[in-house]
Amino acid sequence: MLDTLVFATVLLPFLVAAVLLVLREQNVRKVILVATAGVLVLASLAMLRGGAFILSPAPLYDSLVTLGDFVILLVVLFVGIKRRNQIIIWLTAAQILGLVWLDFFMVEGHGTTPAFFADDLSLIMVCIISIVGSLIAVYGIGYMKEHEEHLHLAKSKQPRFFFFIVLFLGAMNGLVLANNLLWMYFFWECTTLCSFMLIGHDDTEIARKNAERALWMNVLGGTAFLFGLIILQKVAGTLSLADILARGPEFAVAGGAILIPMFLLVFAGMTKAAQAPFQSWLTGAMVAPTPVSALLHSSTMVKAGVYIIVRLAPIYAGTYLSNFIALFGAFVFLATAALAAGQSNGKKVLAYSTISNLALIIACAGINTPAAITAAILLIIFHAISKALLFLCVGAIEQKIGSRDIEDMRGLYARMPRTAIITIIGVITMMLPPFGMLMAKWMAIESAQGQFLVMIMLALGSGLTVLFWCRWAGILLATPFGKPQPEAQACSVRLPLVILAAMAVLVSLASPFVYNGLVAPVVAMYYKAAAYTTSYGNFDSGSGVFIVYPLFVLLGLGLYFAVKQSRKVTAAQISAPYMCGEQQTVDGKAGFLGPLGQHVAAASGNYYLEQFFGEAMLSKWINVVALAVLVIMLFGGAL
Amino acid sequence: MITKIVIAILALVLAPIAGALITGVDRRVTAWLQSRYGPPILQPLYDVLKLLGKEPMVTNTWQALCAYVYVVAAALSVVLLFIGSDLLLIFFVLTVGAVFLVMGALASPSPYSQVGGQRELLQMLAYEPLLILVFAAIAMVTGSFKVSAVFELSRPMLYDIPLMFIVLGYALTIKLRKSPFDISACHHAHQELVRGVYTEYSGPYLAMIEIAHWYEVILVLGFCGLFWSTSVVGMIVLVALTYLAEIIVDNVTARLTWRWMLKSAVGMGVVLTIVNMLWLYAQ
Repeated sequence: MLDTLVFATVLLPFLVAAVLLVLREQNVRKVILVATAGVLVLASLAMLRGGAFILSPAPLYDSLVTLGDFVILLVVLFVGIKRRNQIIIWLTAAQILGLVWLDFFMVEGHGTTPAFFADDLSLIMVCIISIVGSLIAVYGIGYMKEHEEHLHLAKSKQPRFFFFIVLFLGAMNGLVLANNLLWMYFFWECTTLCSFMLIGHDDTEIARKNAERALWMNVLGGTAFLFGLIILQKVAGTLSLADILARGPEFAVAGGAILIPMFLLVFAGMTKAAQAPFQSWLTGAMVAPTPVSALLHSSTMVKAGVYIIVRLAPIYAGTYLSNFIALFGAFVFLATAALAAGQSNGKKVLAYSTISNLALIIACAGINTPAAITAAILLIIFHAISKALLFLCVGAIEQKIGSRDIEDMRGLYARMPRTAIITIIGVITMMLPPFGMLMAKWMAIESAQGQFLVMIMLALGSGLTVLFWCRWAGILLATPFGKPQPEAQACSVRLPLVILAAMAVLVSLASPFVYNGLVAPVVAMYYKAAAYTTSYGNFDSGSGVFIVYPLFVLLGLGLYFAVKQSRKVTAAQISAPYMCGEQQTVDGKAGFLGPLGQHVAAASGNYYLEQFFGEAMLSKWINVVALAVLVIMLFGGAL
Repeated sequence: MITKIVIAILALVLAPIAGALITGVDRRVTAWLQSRYGPPILQPLYDVLKLLGKEPMVTNTWQALCAYVYVVAAALSVVLLFIGSDLLLIFFVLTVGAVFLVMGALASPSPYSQVGGQRELLQMLAYEPLLILVFAAIAMVTGSFKVSAVFELSRPMLYDIPLMFIVLGYALTIKLRKSPFDISACHHAHQELVRGVYTEYSGPYLAMIEIAHWYEVILVLGFCGLFWSTSVVGMIVLVALTYLAEIIVDNVTARLTWRWMLKSAVGMGVVLTIVNMLWLYAQ
């Protein structure tokens, strides 16, 4: 049974991807995609039910993984040579040499280390990847059809597109289930390659450029990962994740040597999670079709980065490295929230907010208390759902209005009522109580107590978060009174949106159960004690309390009452917007009566505060500071 | 549990009345400072009753929705404070109301309302970090974010974190919409935008917003009161003095631009916090 489930979540996507690559028939592709999505969802849920496990597949697979490693590295090397990118060439060459050394000269007894191991953290990740990722893949069906119609392609590139999308899901599932770190490295490189191919999918000049940048940054991370493994093998004598975690306390006492591979692995995670100074690959990735951005930002890729950092947290708990990771995370959280506040490009706002939230997760891993780790895991879950939802919304909006600029979304409710409401649900679940994101942020801030510098940055960052979300939600509603026109949308686009919106609300509603069933056990396993007790669904840590259900009930009732009141408004009670007494409405649009009876249209825009949050100005400094913190982190042990 | 429910209901009913009275006194004191006679103490209550009786007028239905959510969130945050819940949680619930107020303002195409909404966001950007820092400092002293923990202290917090009280005062001035930080919803002309974020709310919806504001007045004054938690008299004196100081500041300061507000609030807040924290550590 277990074999089948691991097969279905990891290997099946690889096989399906291969089929999709050669298949040119549209309708069959649709059926296969939906069926795969269904299998992934069911298999991940079944796996979650089954609980923790350790699994060793046939030795043949070990050789296949080794072979796969070299194939991927050679492909990357080839890309590097073709693009004449020195960084990629040298880093990949170094990886090939390193891998030869590690595989053939250092590691003895291949196949003795179990390939897969899963605890609740891995299982949560598998569910996120399989459910959210599959929904995005399904959304891709309708989206890519319109995307290609828009581009007037002579020959559809969808086979290639869905090949990498489905491959990506399999690789991610493999990554989070891997016990043998060599296997994890293989899947890690898979995701790097997939993201490179997907970012460059449209093959425009900017797409090629951004894909190349994503590649070299992730190859840098991959190199750090590999050399981390080499040192780890030397220091710990094993590449089995379960063994290393089990020996965590022993390492924590020994300190010193183990921290170097830990730093390298965490650094690899940071590049994959697009933390400053590597944030530009993720913001550049938005040139790709929207399903790609949604996938990269929510359930895959960047989540692999934070997964490894949270995964290893128990090993570096209580060390200087942990403190610096907290500081680094908090700084990037604040810095990228500021960058998000300065953007009017909707996708960029989402991109920076992703980096910001990932940084918060990293900060939590660095704070490294049971409460903080709880916050990190909950953030991973809720961020995946809400961020996927928001990206898919922006994609749908962009295809309809032809722009991803927030300013162009003014009064969107009149044109796309359902999508506008779903977008607002997404935004609200990102920033307001009683939803899960905010609860996790509450846990994060309360657990930062005692690390005051971290706390200050978290406080400033959360203020900025509210700023950029709130104004976005607000202007979507700037519509005249009246029934909005009903919205036509492909079923494969509409359903994922509705399902994700429902999930964003319902999973938050179930947060006490999610916590008790999945998060508390894994935290208790690695940290000896869970952080919160829940009674009647209220989280209590002894030093703070978050009341989930009373809030849901009271705010829910309030919202119901407010909706009822607003329904009572009749057309007779509608007045024109205030224009200082010089009101003149032309074509239903309010404006001013100007000099000489001229009509002056009313126009307004958000404050983007360029002088404070301008990207060009801020990025430079942010990169310098982030790099400095990383360097100090590396050499800090010597001090 | 029963006592908590009783307290919750009492807070729900009494807070807006107390808020109205405080606003009434505020107007009298302000009038006195300006050598005017001023309205009766109950005037704010009369105003709201009159607004409630007016016919509702809005530019779109979202505004009605936003006004009601605002008042619900504000009332809920006061209730949470009085039943001794978590400080950060109270703050987040307060944010719900603030966010919906702005969303309602942004839902109208009127430029006045739009600018008001943006200014209100900047005000939130200025006071939110300050409040979080104040709560974090309170948690440093009490070891807990729970309001109830504050009342277990043996001596007033003001001794331990006096500078944080100044930070709270700063946030208070912004949240109470007092000059020089009445940037988004000023009563007067000096901010070049009168009632900004409130522009499009009228009649019963404006009444809702006024009531929500009364709740918020009680909430922020409640935060002030926490600094002298050991005696009721001390609490009342501290709150009264703070509010009096707010009124004086309101009357003697000219306007400031939002740039100045952001820079000074964040700069001052962070510096005072660090100094106070170092002092706490040193003790």
